[in-house]
Formats: sequence, structure tokens, C-alpha cells
Amino acid sequence: MKMEANHFKFLIFSFKSADSKLKIKNLKLLLAALALLFAVIGSDRAQQLPVGHATDFTSNQYFEPPHEQQVKMKLSGAEALPLPGGLLDVRQLRVETFGVDGKTELVVRAPQCTYAPLDGVANSAGHLELESGDGKFHVEGEGFLWRQNTAALTISNRVHTVIDMPAAATD
Amino acid sequence: MKRIIFLLAAGFCSLAAAQTNLSLSLPTAAPAAKAKPHVPTITMIDSDMADFDMNLHQAIYRGHVLVVDPQVRLTCEWLLVDLPAGGEHLNHVLATTNVVVDFTNEKGEKYHVTAAQAIYDYKVVEAVTNETVTFTGKPVVETATSIIYSEPMVWDRARNHFIFTEPKMISKDNGGTNSSPMNFLK
Repeated sequence: MKMEANHFKFLIFSFKSADSKLKIKNLKLLLAALALLFAVIGSDRAQQLPVGHATDFTSNQYFEPPHEQQVKMKLSGAEALPLPGGLLDVRQLRVETFGVDGKTELVVRAPQCTYAPLDGVANSAGHLELESGDGKFHVEGEGFLWRQNTAALTISNRVHTVIDMPAAATD
Repeated sequence: MKRIIFLLAAGFCSLAAAQTNLSLSLPTAAPAAKAKPHVPTITMIDSDMADFDMNLHQAIYRGHVLVVDPQVRLTCEWLLVDLPAGGEHLNHVLATTNVVVDFTNEKGEKYHVTAAQAIYDYKVVEAVTNETVTFTGKPVVETATSIIYSEPMVWDRARNHFIFTEPKMISKDNGGTNSSPMNFLK
């Protein structure tokens, strides 16, 4: 199975509209499809997202071989509305990342964000929460920019972090 | 380099002659070689903004940074944190620009440290814990009884003492503030 280096490597994308539930599977590179009318195939070329509306969608990104059967990131949302320029207005965004052992590493939640699938960039002026899989690291703030390709997150305002860790051992 | 070890116990200073470092031991210095149980602690970090690099597992906090844990309150303008893996202790933190650290020891004695930069390192090697904060950039520590200048200044948290290099100390008269003749140690 060939995996492209850039952009999207979502191999399974499913969404549920009001009266139907579709699931798209492709062992090769697929881009996220967010409505009945659109499916975006990942490549370095600029692509245009069709107009559409999706609800209760889920998209999985898989690891590179040899762990290609394991989910690396799961992106889901309650609603996605296409915006001009190939952007998506995503509501109730939830992103989970996993280790190759299947354990949850991070969970990110945002009530709303604008997602640029081709650039792998999400941003919002609203709230963001990020939590480690074991719940021992929690961050929240207002306004964020997420760059998927570099795994970089900027929180713009009122950042609050809580780290729950073992106390230092004393000799 | 002339170095002296200086011990401060229960608020009184005494010099240990012929030593090369100046070490300010807090009265609550723990006996060596006995491990405390690992009680979870909560550390909170607030700032104006922050950048998280999930590949490097680093966070950089900028603007009005405030770090609070059960013992320490730190403020600065820029803070880099190596994010610990699940369940592990923070092992490296770098704070710069207007660093202010306030902490209270187990006897309730307060310490106030200012510096341009502070580096926190935590490491356990062969069951020995090394937990230090190294202050540079004109560091000053102020207690109820004295003010000490040292460059650098190392706070050994695991052993509850300070290590000074070529320190200068101002004693406060009878525990008062700004009322005593100045007593410098070099």
C-alpha cells in the first residue's frame, strides 16, 4: 500500500446524514469526504471541495507501514459546513491520536473551528481543550491554530494547563 | 574561584570553613537515602499564549506566565516545558525574562528569588534524585533574615538547599526589613 507523504491519509471516512449512513473505504490514499456530494482525494495538487453538508462524521488516519492497520488519528465532528475556498466549518470537533499500541495519546475538543483540509490547518477564535490519554495533562484556551503537517498547536489567549504528575522522589 | 559553603539553619547563619561552595540549607533538609512516597502533585501553568510541538513534546508559554505547584509559585515572560510522557515527572523547564520564584518550606519560611533565567532539571539516576533549579542573570534570593546575591545560584530541591558561587549577603537586622547594617560575604 502506497502512502503519500503530504496532506491527508485518511483511509476510512464515514458520515451519517439525516437518513443515511455512508462509509467509504479505500486502501490507498483518500482525502476526507464530508457530504454526500464530495470526496477529496489527497495529493499535492490543489483541489476544490464540493458543496455539501455532513453530520456526525468520522475520519481515520492510519500509521505508515508496518502499522498501517492501526489508527493514528481519528477526527470526528457533529457537523461540517463547506465554506468558500475549500474550507470547512466544523462543529463539535474531536480529534484523538493514538500510539501504535492503540492507546489514546491525545484528545482535542473544540466546539467550532474552520478546517482547511488541503493545508491541514484548523483554526478558531473559540475554545479549545486538549487532554492526554491518561488525563494527566490538560490544556485549554481561547483561539487556536493547528498545523497538522508539523503537529504544531498555537493557543492564542488565556492558556491554562494542568499537569498531574508524581511528586519528586527525595533521596 | 573562591567558594564557601554556607549553612543557614533555623534562620541562623554559620560558615563552614575551607569549603568551596556556599550552600544555604533549609531547616527542613531531608535525610539522605530515604525515598518519600510519590504523591501526585498538580502543577498549573497559565499564560497569554502557548505553542505546543507534538513532535518534540515541547510547550512554549509566552506572556504573563504563571506556574503554581503545591510548593512553588513562578512568574516569567517565557517558559519552555518538555512535556512529560504519561505518568512521568517534568524533567526540564526553562524560564526566562523577569523570573520570580516564591516558595515556602515545610516550616513555613518564605523564599523569594528573582533572576533573568531559571532552568529546572529533574533526573533520577540509580535511585538518586537530582532536582535542581539553576538561576542566572543577576539572581537574588531573599528570606526573612537575609538577601543573597550569587551568579549562578542553584536551588537543590531534592536536598533542600541553595548552592552559591561568590555570594554577597545582606543580613536583615533581627529579622526586620531594611533596618540593618549591611553584611557582605564574598
